[in-house]
Amino acid sequence: MEVEDLGQHISRRFNAEIVSLHSSVLTMGGLVQEQLDRAIEALRERDSELGLQVAQDDFKVNRMEVGIDEDCSRILATHSPAAGDLRLIVAIIKTITDLERIGDEAEKIGRLAARLAGLERPSTNYRELRNLARHVKQMVNDTLDAFARLDATGALEVVRADEVVDEEYESTYRQGITFMMEDPRTISRVIDSMWIARSLERIGDHCKNICEYVIYMVHGKDIRYTSVENVEAEVRQAIQQSEAVS
Amino acid sequence: MPRRWVKQVAYLAAWLAAAALLGMFFGAPAWWLTAVLLLYVAHTLRHIYLLDRMLAGGKRVGPFATRGLWAEILARVDKLRKKSRNRKKKFHRVLREIRESTGALRDGGVILNAANEIVWFNPAATRMLGLDPRTDLGRRIDNLIRHPQFVGYLAEPGGEGISIPSPKIESGWIAVQIIPYGRDQSIAIIRDVTRETRLERTRRDFVANASHELRSPLTVLSGYLDTLADDDDLPESWQVPITEMLRQANRMTQILRDLMELTRLESAEADAGHGFVDVCSMLKLMVRDFGTVTAVQPALNLRFETDAALLGNETELHSIFFNLLNNAVRFTPASGSVEVVWRPDAHGAALEVIDTGIGIPEEEIPRITERFYRVDPGRSRATGGTGLGLAIVKHALQRHDGVLQISSVEGKGSTFRCLFATDRLVFRGGRAEAAV
Repeated sequence: MEVEDLGQHISRRFNAEIVSLHSSVLTMGGLVQEQLDRAIEALRERDSELGLQVAQDDFKVNRMEVGIDEDCSRILATHSPAAGDLRLIVAIIKTITDLERIGDEAEKIGRLAARLAGLERPSTNYRELRNLARHVKQMVNDTLDAFARLDATGALEVVRADEVVDEEYESTYRQGITFMMEDPRTISRVIDSMWIARSLERIGDHCKNICEYVIYMVHGKDIRYTSVENVEAEVRQAIQQSEAVS
Repeated sequence: MPRRWVKQVAYLAAWLAAAALLGMFFGAPAWWLTAVLLLYVAHTLRHIYLLDRMLAGGKRVGPFATRGLWAEILARVDKLRKKSRNRKKKFHRVLREIRESTGALRDGGVILNAANEIVWFNPAATRMLGLDPRTDLGRRIDNLIRHPQFVGYLAEPGGEGISIPSPKIESGWIAVQIIPYGRDQSIAIIRDVTRETRLERTRRDFVANASHELRSPLTVLSGYLDTLADDDDLPESWQVPITEMLRQANRMTQILRDLMELTRLESAEADAGHGFVDVCSMLKLMVRDFGTVTAVQPALNLRFETDAALLGNETELHSIFFNLLNNAVRFTPASGSVEVVWRPDAHGAALEVIDTGIGIPEEEIPRITERFYRVDPGRSRATGGTGLGLAIVKHALQRHDGVLQISSVEGKGSTFRCLFATDRLVFRGGRAEAAV
């Protein structure tokens, strides 16, 4: 299914509803992206006010999730969609849950950044965290792009990128432990920064989930709980098939 | 009738006449005539067939007549085709030039249709927005550029445009302006403003840091000056200089405080929040406080025509009202009066500060909200302002979706009007137009 196909229904109203549903998920995604951006900025700029603001604004994300959820239920009830449309709506229902969780993690990061703003910082100003954050932000962006373009190949790349994030998280974690052993006075600060790393890593996982839904939506293949190599083989196959058909 | 047709008809007539003559000579003229007509039809059909093949295949097939009507028709078709080929070439060239020139543009351009779907974009847009020419044509732009500010601006374009972080360039900033044109189309112009944004940020940080750093030594100075001024053993000759020094130190502290406030307003979020602020009691308190500061000042009149409360930031609203009131009092002679009115307005509510002071020359009005801008430097210094009051008012008001209107007649007085939109207001008791 291509995104162009979203607008190919006999009922014009159904068309419009599906297209606007797809867009509203992306609007929610944009909000989540901004939340994450601001949380990281709060960390970088030691802006406790901004960090708290992010935590406060999480309700906007939640509100959008509830709204989209209702829209999905209504469409299911009124149009009883089938095949590709049904997959789209199921995928959307799952996607917004993960987006909302990303929002929650951003909220946590905001709160922690606000707390860290008042504490002494390491000379690197949390370079490793910012590095991790850069990867994760890119991942969120690519995920939403893949969702917008219904692009299974792009989604697959994000699934692969998650491994990089996991590795970086691992090394940040080790570094944190080293810091704490060297100087116990830093323990509380380092624990906070490790929570941030943890949140970032979780965001990566949520992105991976969303990308799996994208692949499910496009090709109807469920690739959860399979290794990346298998997934790749399956998706390539599915892409070839759909190309052969068209 | 064109000549070739006259000729053609004449030819046919001559042939038919010849056939009739032969028919009369040999007998059975009807058969002769039929034979000639059949030959003519066959000739015509053959050429129509050839012409059709030629138009379909684009190539000349089989021998055509070299003269006569068909030769001329053919020549005309050839000419037409040559012309259209040339025209096509020209279009191609123009198109290529346009594509090359838009490709060379440093600013990005995206053409959108009525549904905000992408119709076209140039390579600069790819660079700054990460759009992909292979997959993104026909997609809604707000699905790909998802920044909430952009989505909001897309819904209601207008004004100066917005600047948002670039979705593609790491820590880059872009300015977007959407210009509608033609029927339901619009073009989004995207500029790379990373450098400007960085400079702006540096400037802001500098001002904030400088004010902060200057404040600590100044506090020490004013502290000692305070003690000195209160010291009874102070020699008579020192009293005036010390008092003056204290006064100036206090003024410097005030300037720094205003600078920091302004920087904070600039760098904070665009929205001031929605706290409940009781305008009436705030104004009452403020007017009372003014009465206690100096004895010699113009009469202050407060009038409420609405009891609406505002949704916003209390500190910022206080600083808006305080600065306006302070200005009015400073620039109005003690014999004059200052009127403060809180009243409903066509689009919400307005706070008016009307004074009978010295007024502002008309050509200066647009500039008086600039920081440190003074209409009459000598006079303002004497009245002891910081030069930042109206800049603070303007910025704080913007964060409350408000507008500042200034009207003034030199020598007669000025009116400062803050307009607040309905969705920032809460009407209470008895008012029909309750707003949320």
